[in-house]
Amino acid sequence: MTALSIAYKDLQILFKNRGLILQLFLMPIIFTAIMSGALGSLGSDEEKDTRIPLAVVNLDGSEASQQFLSGLDAAGGVRVKIYDQAEAQALLDESEIMRIVTIPANFSANLGSNQPTTVQILNHKDAPIQETEAVRLVVEGVAQAMTLESQILFSLQQMGEMNANAPPEYQQAFSTESLQAQARAQFEAARSQELVTIAQRIPAQKTEEERQAEGNPRLEDVTVPGFAVLFVFMTAQTTALSIYNEKKVGSFRRLLAAPISKATLLVGKMLPNMITGILQIVVIFAFGVWGMQALGLKPDSLGNDFLAFTLTLLLLVLCSTALGILIAAIARTEGQIGGLSTLFLWGLGFLGGCFMPLFLLERFLKQLPMIVPHYWAKRALESLLIRGVSLTDIALELAMLSGFTALFFAIGLWKFDFD
Amino acid sequence: MTAILEVDNLVKKYGDFEAVGGVSFSVEQGEVFGLLGPNGAGKTQTISMLTGVIQPTAGTARIGGHDIRAQMDQVKKINGLVPQDLALYPTLSARANLNFFGRIYGLRGKELKERVEDVLRIVALTDRADQAVDKYSGGMKRRVNIAAGLIHHPKLFFLDEPTVGVDPQSRNHIFESVLRLNQERGMSIVYTSHYMEEVELLCNRVAIIDQGKIIAMDTVKNLVAMLGGGVIYVGLPRVDDEILAGLANLPAVAEALLVPQPANPPAGEQQEPETAERPLVSTEKLVKVVAKQNQQAIVNVINYLNERSLNLTSLEILEPNLETVFLHLTGKKLRE
Repeated sequence: MTALSIAYKDLQILFKNRGLILQLFLMPIIFTAIMSGALGSLGSDEEKDTRIPLAVVNLDGSEASQQFLSGLDAAGGVRVKIYDQAEAQALLDESEIMRIVTIPANFSANLGSNQPTTVQILNHKDAPIQETEAVRLVVEGVAQAMTLESQILFSLQQMGEMNANAPPEYQQAFSTESLQAQARAQFEAARSQELVTIAQRIPAQKTEEERQAEGNPRLEDVTVPGFAVLFVFMTAQTTALSIYNEKKVGSFRRLLAAPISKATLLVGKMLPNMITGILQIVVIFAFGVWGMQALGLKPDSLGNDFLAFTLTLLLLVLCSTALGILIAAIARTEGQIGGLSTLFLWGLGFLGGCFMPLFLLERFLKQLPMIVPHYWAKRALESLLIRGVSLTDIALELAMLSGFTALFFAIGLWKFDFD
Repeated sequence: MTAILEVDNLVKKYGDFEAVGGVSFSVEQGEVFGLLGPNGAGKTQTISMLTGVIQPTAGTARIGGHDIRAQMDQVKKINGLVPQDLALYPTLSARANLNFFGRIYGLRGKELKERVEDVLRIVALTDRADQAVDKYSGGMKRRVNIAAGLIHHPKLFFLDEPTVGVDPQSRNHIFESVLRLNQERGMSIVYTSHYMEEVELLCNRVAIIDQGKIIAMDTVKNLVAMLGGGVIYVGLPRVDDEILAGLANLPAVAEALLVPQPANPPAGEQQEPETAERPLVSTEKLVKVVAKQNQQAIVNVINYLNERSLNLTSLEILEPNLETVFLHLTGKKLRE
């Protein structure tokens, strides 16, 4: 009860400090809204060319294959880029491209002799189904057109040869009516007997959730988890300053002279940080879900495992509290608290990926972000909210966060000067 | 009377520095006991050990029969502390501050409300109890500071320099409150100060503390009586044993002593001489005359010197009070 009394008093003081309230609750919302909007627009700039990228391997190289490629380009909807076979396969393996269209080496020869030929479409296992279907329709359309053209031309060529060699008494057999009838028959044949067939290979597709679990999140999706982590860690400074101010004004001495244990006193000083952190999380994620929608931005999801989500956030708040005790223990002046807070909260926040997606950060800094708790907290939240994983999938992240919490508490309590 | 506080050879060290060097004293039930000493003398450190704020390095004390080393939880319920600092939350109202400190001592509900009203009445702040403390004057803040220490009705009340930075009106109010608590409620009080007037006014007994040690302890009357009628500092161009003996044998004079002068420091290591803290600063020889009766002693000393054609270079007459006692015992002034 005494710890609750201390916490209640600290919350009374905190909520009378309007500047601090703005910093703790309004700033995260402003940051989230601005960064989500900015990163969202950045993402849309990259996707202005909405055509589906289409890697093509042309093993034929003939005029007919070039005509096929021109047909693909002219059809619209796809952006053709030519690769050699090995390069295309390597890019597909690295998930850099989602499909390869291969024009076979006998493409032109078979078409010329009115023999069937097969264009292969090889899709990546994570290729979006809608794109795969769209590409198939485009390629099939071009193939059908070429089939028709080829068969008509072949038919006309045959009739021309027959007409040239036929005796005069059979010349009436090549009258206009006869040619029209032949053309109709060739159209029918082109429809039923395709010369250019499409062979598409689609590996076993993952579910949408599985695909999301492995894919990189959109830039704007990571702002809410990032700023939640950043601003919850900011309450550590509030804890440190609260303890410093108690010591400065002398009320800490008065509390030490009261019949309460040092443990109760510390718990009482930590509770407001935890309550504030939880309130911040509620505000930030409520904004992420409803506020973003109101601003016309993509709303955030709370993931599929609410228990894991709650546990992650509680650990995050606990870690921030422990960091506050650590700062209070090692800082001797208000200036030192400010300096350490800037380093721990903003510096480590940057390093831990609070301002950018982790996949971008890892490309640049490799494993370095792993040395800060912010990274693990954000990684857990990104996994839960964006990829929709469950508690067991973020066991490593939670273990690391717990480790940091224990470390901060241990050093903080060891160095804490009650005198 | 029984002692509510018995301090036994209490020591506090920080590394090699001895902040409190083995103090021993006792406070009787219903007594107002003063700890008088300059800043840094060890008063606050002593109180901090007795109230559980810091741990003693050695020695112990018993408060209300409980040992401070073994039963501090019990001791803390008996003690009330008014720290030297304004140990309040400035953005909260006086009432909110008092409610908080009351809850810390386990008070709840109606009892808490009554206690808050009671202590607000004691410090005469009922009318402005709902105003934020940072809007108060320095004196009003000091009064709330005292009220916070009283909220749980302590039996032994420690006031550590409670009038620092306070206007005369508030200071008088604090004095009245302390006296009322003692006289009307029978509260035992330990009052520290470096203002001898406060201690003389409030305290039954006084311990004079300097450099972590108690150098004198008695009632104010007895301490002042050590000096008889007062002290006269006489500056002379020369002094010898004959002159000192002559002064000491004068009627109304208790004793005459040559005040030791500091050796001249080497060039480049000029230091402020010890006499800079004394009433007389620039004399070749300084004689301290302890008087049995001040006015008569002054007349006799001047006549004696005139008869021997000894010119006075300075003369300072100190009335018999605790300030003079402190100066007499330590050679230093009680400084603010």
